[in-house]
Amino acid sequence: ATSSSHKMADLRCSGCAAGGLSFNSRTFTKMLQSCQHRCDHHRVLLEAEQRYREELCQSALWSSSTHRTHDKIMLAPVRKDRLHTEK
Amino acid sequence: MFRGRRAWFSQSVSPGPRGLWVAGGGALTDWLDAEYLFSSDATHPDTRSIHESLRYLEGRATVFHSCYLSACERAGAMEKPSVVLGHFILPPACLQEEIRRKIGCFIWEQVNVLEEKPNGN
Ligand SMILES: [Zn+2]
Repeated sequence: ATSSSHKMADLRCSGCAAGGLSFNSRTFTKMLQSCQHRCDHHRVLLEAEQRYREELCQSALWSSSTHRTHDKIMLAPVRKDRLHTEK
Repeated sequence: MFRGRRAWFSQSVSPGPRGLWVAGGGALTDWLDAEYLFSSDATHPDTRSIHESLRYLEGRATVFHSCYLSACERAGAMEKPSVVLGHFILPPACLQEEIRRKIGCFIWEQVNVLEEKPNGN
């Protein structure tokens, strides 16, 4: 019954190789992002999520922006530290 | 195996997986406090709001499909986790179709299919 999950584990992606609960909802994305050998499955997921995040960031910044004088900055790719200063 | 860990469950999750978590020693909490986020439906409002949260934007709120817990139970892995949680990511609903086109159906969709068969394995 677990053959489908083992198939992907063969690819040595850290998202696939990390067993059980060695990461959690807070750390999983960071772990995948730092993985050098992402499998297709996780690469596609991560890329889609990243694009989604960027779109969400932009729309959030747009709606929270009351000063249109910074329009050009808002249209530039959103840097993480604009959102949040915590490490 | 879940002892000392805190999870949040979406209202979309049936009592089964939640019961497995608690039976495994896991605690339940609200989503901001949880280490593990489980849902079975990315379109449910409580899950969607996580996918639209700042914490998700920061990459610190991956939602997993709750059938991970059923898969653990089926694999007899409630003592020592051998099922790869990383395969049970539940991405935002608007991305699922695109991802499915690229990598085929999600593991949790395959698991759901298996679950519908009442086989004694
Ligand atoms: Zn992988």
